[in-house]
Amino acid sequence: MPNALNRAIRRSIALYEIGKAGVSLICHQSERSFRCTLGADALVPNGYIRELLFRHLSAQASTTRVVRDSGDESALELAPVYGNEGMNMKKVAIVGAGQSRYGDFPEKGIKELFFEAYKDMVESVDKGMDPKRIGAAYVGNLGSGGFQLGNMSALVSEFVGLPYIHTVRVENACASGGYAIISAIMDVMSGAHDVVIAGGVEKMTDVSGTKQKYWLGVSGDTEFERLAGTTFAGLYALIAHRHMHQFGTKREHLSMVAVKNHKNGAQNPKAQFQREITLDKAIKSPPVAYPLNLFDCCSTTDGASSVLVCDAEIAKEFTDTPVFVAGFGTSSDYLAIHDRPETVTLEGTKRASKKAYDMAGLGPGGIDLAEVHDCFTIAELLAYEDLGFCEKGKAGQFIEDGRSQIDGDMPVNASGGLKSKGHPIGSTGTGQAYEMFNQLRGTVQKPTRQVKGAETGLVHNVGGSGGTVAVSILRR
Amino acid sequence: MAHVSIPMYWRTIPQRYKMIGQKCKKCGSVNFPPKGVCKYCNESSDFEDIGLSGKGTVHTFVMIGAGGAPPEFVEQEKAGGSYPVAIVELEEGPKVIGQIADADPKQVGIGMKVSTELRKVYNEEGVIRYGFKFVPD
Amino acid sequence: MAVGISGYGVAVPRLRVKKEEYAKAWGSFRAAGVKEKAVMGFDEDVLTMAAKVSRRALSSVPISADRITRFAFASTSAPYGEKLLSGTIITNIGAPSDAFVSDHTTSSRAGTEAVIAGMEHLRSNPEGCTVVSAADAPKASMWKSIEHGLGAGAAGFVLSKENLIAEIEGHASFACEHFGERFKSNSEDLIQDLEVRKFAQSSFVGATTKAATNLMTSLKSKPDDYAHIVIQQPDARMPATIAKKLGFDPEKLVKGSVVSEMGDIGAASTLVGLAAALDSAQMGEKILVVSYGSGAASDAISLKVVGERRASPSVRTEIERKEYIDYIQYLKLKGAIR
Repeated sequence: MPNALNRAIRRSIALYEIGKAGVSLICHQSERSFRCTLGADALVPNGYIRELLFRHLSAQASTTRVVRDSGDESALELAPVYGNEGMNMKKVAIVGAGQSRYGDFPEKGIKELFFEAYKDMVESVDKGMDPKRIGAAYVGNLGSGGFQLGNMSALVSEFVGLPYIHTVRVENACASGGYAIISAIMDVMSGAHDVVIAGGVEKMTDVSGTKQKYWLGVSGDTEFERLAGTTFAGLYALIAHRHMHQFGTKREHLSMVAVKNHKNGAQNPKAQFQREITLDKAIKSPPVAYPLNLFDCCSTTDGASSVLVCDAEIAKEFTDTPVFVAGFGTSSDYLAIHDRPETVTLEGTKRASKKAYDMAGLGPGGIDLAEVHDCFTIAELLAYEDLGFCEKGKAGQFIEDGRSQIDGDMPVNASGGLKSKGHPIGSTGTGQAYEMFNQLRGTVQKPTRQVKGAETGLVHNVGGSGGTVAVSILRR
Repeated sequence: MAHVSIPMYWRTIPQRYKMIGQKCKKCGSVNFPPKGVCKYCNESSDFEDIGLSGKGTVHTFVMIGAGGAPPEFVEQEKAGGSYPVAIVELEEGPKVIGQIADADPKQVGIGMKVSTELRKVYNEEGVIRYGFKFVPD
Repeated sequence: MAVGISGYGVAVPRLRVKKEEYAKAWGSFRAAGVKEKAVMGFDEDVLTMAAKVSRRALSSVPISADRITRFAFASTSAPYGEKLLSGTIITNIGAPSDAFVSDHTTSSRAGTEAVIAGMEHLRSNPEGCTVVSAADAPKASMWKSIEHGLGAGAAGFVLSKENLIAEIEGHASFACEHFGERFKSNSEDLIQDLEVRKFAQSSFVGATTKAATNLMTSLKSKPDDYAHIVIQQPDARMPATIAKKLGFDPEKLVKGSVVSEMGDIGAASTLVGLAAALDSAQMGEKILVVSYGSGAASDAISLKVVGERRASPSVRTEIERKEYIDYIQYLKLKGAIR
């Protein structure tokens, strides 16, 4: 997207944000600051503009500093100060990514799956990489049915030939992978290690149906939500029903997400379900938790993925076309949906993405494509809204208008998403980054799902029903 | 495994049997189920226990059908058919999740008035776990 | 000052199964005079029903739960063989933990047993307040004809010396050794009936008529003094036989008869029947309640209506709130399919 257009969008967002408070003023947003000039007709209490800007800026940064102040608020310029500013943090790049096939593989356990993804990642490094350079591995995993809860990252690391490194299992439910990436990024930023793996793996098809439900039910609010008789499908259905009631979102809109993602997944040789479905079939599939039916829910999947994160200064040693980390953000939320002020909003997504946008110095308009967390179809609709791709309540129209199709203006889940590609919990976040790495470098396996000319992409990974959210923005 | 132990369940008896909530002494809001720090003002942990009426309005609901029930509730779904679970906005303010019992599914809707009743929630290790459910008011 | 009923409440579970369902499944239906019966939902048991009627009884009187000094629970279908049952109920209704509680669980006469025990407490604690709650849903093997009539229901009473609806004039009992009729062994939760019919019937009729006669003798009352008589209702025929034997006009059974629409509700039978009679009784009318429990014992209680305050909902309203299920659903809910 041309930079001039980008900037225009950013400016209009700033105007909108400020305009919401009902103040008539002229506002400009430069790369890193807000400059406001009061309109001649503006009648506002003294200190109001300062308060407003302060609140606006401090929501996205650790502190706010005054750049210029006329004293009477007729000209005021404030700038956010980010946590890492002036601290000489390193910039971070991704130079390799790999993924196992997603599906059900009775012959493979977590070690073998992780190895498959790891090998694929090592082979993807254009100029090669000596594994001895890897200093750390962050491995997303929910516990693979309880098989190896303790020390599992050491197990999979030594299995692939990486004993004696800094390694940690990262667990934030379905957002484990997304948080593994951010842990790896922060590690490299800090200078602790310069080449780090962010991986994820899950083995979901080994356990019996009942045990699986016992296990998968661990990530919501167990005491009240689960003991009210709900699984995750039920929780997302509660959100979906309220969304339909509040905004007129139709059941068909949910199914449209499934149809789109299956269409994309049919073009992904590593996806679990490589077949298209019709809207009619999706709408008529058996109910699981009304209003959600079978085709609104992702499946259980075995799989692993892995990305190679390094100090941007040494990225060229590995490839001429690295992908850079432009921004990232995370946010937790009240675990139980009933504790949240808004049922129809994942506040974690809003806050995590705001941090990521601000760090990257752009808004949703600056994103060319996104991989979002569609564990249930309603989750993708929520993501459109909470990531700012459309207004709250307008996600149904957004999918209906085809805007998130591969040839739309905001392609979402070109990989097939969790819905069609599969959702091996710990691997989902790193799998999204694998897809984005290839999309931004133009190296997806089948050109039919390549988003043309994409420069900047967003990956969005949600834990449970929104209790944790990780967002990263990658740029080529 | 998401297993709620007997002592863990027992500790929530005031909520499950008697709808005991916390009134924040700073902002006056009512938390239910309880929090360490008031979820409304995020400042105070000075609370007064109050018994809630159990009356409220359905904010949203879902019909849990075949395959949608957690293992503790599979038998219930099989024996009694799909069951509604709702988030109910209580008249004292907080929203809370719970099953709706004793209602014709066609009668359940957003905005429906409900009140609480003691019901069997589930049975584990031979111990019946009782707790509130919502019924049409 | 007299002791009596200050308030009451009833509950009938919403589900019903019709006798025609039995006829379809088994070729016949063996509970005389029962047209349909109430069935608990999957998430109900006698404790949840007892909690509900205790709350309803309390909400009908200006007495708050923290004044309860005595609580008595009655049922033949307790969910545990050993464990305090009243604890679940008093916690739910908010009764004080220092109230004296008792569980009465081995006889279909347990309902009146609990009333008498609760009433005795008030004699020594004149300022006290008793809540009695009887809930039952007996279970038997689906292969036995005794199972056909088994229903579900509950009634709760607040007993005190204040705001009386009905004064308890007196009570009398009869107890003796008898066996081989309805019983439940220690090894399973299903009631047995060896079907030695005449032998069982003679115990039932003998014990109830003796208790009722003993009471009328001590109160110097006679059948004509009573506007209503409520007798243990395993079916509709047994109370009619006993009423006739006692010299009561069978019409006096009508107001307190619930078995034809609820089924045999064991320990709750006479108390739900009493509630139904209170729902329509007039000021000054007398009611005779006669329970029976195998093994064998009977209690008779004489009441006089002194107030026309009614409970809400009424027994009639509860009976009319219903949803029919088929026999397969009934089997699933009763846990008969394993």
